[in-house]
Amino acid sequence: MLEKMMKTRLFGWIDERTGAEAILKSQLTEYPVPKNLNYMWNFGSLALLVLVLQILTGIFLAMYYKPSAAFTTGNYTVAFDSVERIMRDVNFGWLIRYMHAVGASMFFVVVYLHIGRGMYYGSFKAPRELLWIIGVVILLIMQGAAFFGYLLPWGQMSFWGATVITNLFGALPVIGEYLQQILRGGFAVGDPTLNRFFSLHYLFPLLLVAIVGGHVHALHVVHSNNPEGIDIHKDEEKIPFHPYYTIKDAFGVSVFLLFYCYIIFFNPQMGGYFIEVDNYVPANNLQTPPHIAPVWYLTPWYTILRSFESKLIGVLAMGGSLAILFLLPFLCKSAVRSARYRPMYKILVIMFFIDVIILGYCGHSAPTPTLKLIGQISTAYYFGFFLILPILPKFEKTKPVPEGI
Amino acid sequence: MADQADQSRRNFLYVAAGAMGGVAAGATVIPFIGSMLPAADTLAASKTEFDVSTVEKGQLVVIQWQGKPVFVVNRTEEYLKQVDGHDDMLKDKDSKAIEAVGAEWLTAENNKYRAIKPEYLIVVASCTHLGCIPLFKPTAGRKDWGESVPEDWPGGWHCPCHGSLYDISARVINGSPAPHNLHLMPYKYLTDTKVVIG
Repeated sequence: MLEKMMKTRLFGWIDERTGAEAILKSQLTEYPVPKNLNYMWNFGSLALLVLVLQILTGIFLAMYYKPSAAFTTGNYTVAFDSVERIMRDVNFGWLIRYMHAVGASMFFVVVYLHIGRGMYYGSFKAPRELLWIIGVVILLIMQGAAFFGYLLPWGQMSFWGATVITNLFGALPVIGEYLQQILRGGFAVGDPTLNRFFSLHYLFPLLLVAIVGGHVHALHVVHSNNPEGIDIHKDEEKIPFHPYYTIKDAFGVSVFLLFYCYIIFFNPQMGGYFIEVDNYVPANNLQTPPHIAPVWYLTPWYTILRSFESKLIGVLAMGGSLAILFLLPFLCKSAVRSARYRPMYKILVIMFFIDVIILGYCGHSAPTPTLKLIGQISTAYYFGFFLILPILPKFEKTKPVPEGI
Repeated sequence: MADQADQSRRNFLYVAAGAMGGVAAGATVIPFIGSMLPAADTLAASKTEFDVSTVEKGQLVVIQWQGKPVFVVNRTEEYLKQVDGHDDMLKDKDSKAIEAVGAEWLTAENNKYRAIKPEYLIVVASCTHLGCIPLFKPTAGRKDWGESVPEDWPGGWHCPCHGSLYDISARVINGSPAPHNLHLMPYKYLTDTKVVIG
């Protein structure tokens, strides 16, 4: 179908002025992809889909959302009321808001699986180090965008979540206090905070689009890794992206939409994991809810923060746990990429995935001494995993990698 | 490999899958466009109550109905006489051109006054040209208004934006860029002086 379209006169006219045919060929119909990619390679295109859905639904929500902490009647605020108005009065407002709120969580589900794929099959290793680093930047911006967005409904969780996170920055020596005031626009989270968070919540996705463009460009220079983790030289080991992987990605999209729509229509709050129940209570700056936890996708890092007695070390550890991801390509010294041929790495990386899930569970639960200990052990393993990677090749006997696929 | 494939079967699958995808994408557009239509609370605010006895003889007030400006004029005996005698100047003297310039309560008797009670004229105050609010110039002739109105001015409204003219029953005068009379709306008297608009 694409070939037929490229033969029309209209396309010819456009091609003469843009070089569209060469772009389409080099990026789609003649872009070479390893023929053995498994379904773990679907999550990149799914992440792009969710990003588009988030921006689309966000634009429509912004038509009705009002970022103001001014009081209306009975301790409600303009922002809180405008969200409730979207849920009750705006045509299909409930649908668009649930698409957006569920979409935020699904974005992280998809991206975490995408990152896990990269770690398991060694996609971060040379020559894809920069591709990985751009990806970590995307993750950080996503977390920022999600955090800014979570304040907007101006419920109890919004307010106290923002209070806690902006306090983190206050823990930094010298600049902390100023950084905190710059984030808040006042001495506590309030109306100026809400306004700037809304502005930044609109800005960050636009940054994401630009950086995702860079991520895809970097990918198309070094090309996809594959489950065997070996370099591919022979032409018969590659197939063009279009139509083979467009079809496979489209199939992935339909399976993803099945889950996404099920959650939106039947279980949009996901038992308090996707939308926390306390956030339907209007923000009250004089009373903290009895149990406060971030949304699930930020809880692993929250546990790392809580694992240290010293506030400053906790904050630095949390920052370090994200920053260390940048170093992964340089910490991992093994010549073999895929965990399929690295028996020790395979065990360590699977334990790392389980470790992050445990960290997430601890961060979501009310703190108890037992959970604190488990959180501390998990935090130790989180950093231990990265620190053992440089010396792992000394112990690990890798299996022979295949010649081709 | 391609030569082994049954092309007609494959094409059918392409078209079938593409069509289903197209239907789904089309259906997805509905909630998004739908969300931009007036919300339930906006529609609920569609009625306005007003006490016409608060308007003095000869006075015009502008009130709001559905976010739109509405003129309420208490016309004097003299103003009521000004509705006659210039039918040849009017584009649509019986308010028949489009539905919005008429109303259910409009009858053969009251259609030159365009009001249930002739003295109280209630019309949408947006010029039918491009929506400005016309200036109230009720007295006939150029005595009070100078060159801004024609010599045979019957009294009424003059729109400052593009010069549209309306008579004292808000009917558009020939030569105006506005296509229609000022719009009427459904309203009724709850009591002798209390009106509910909408």
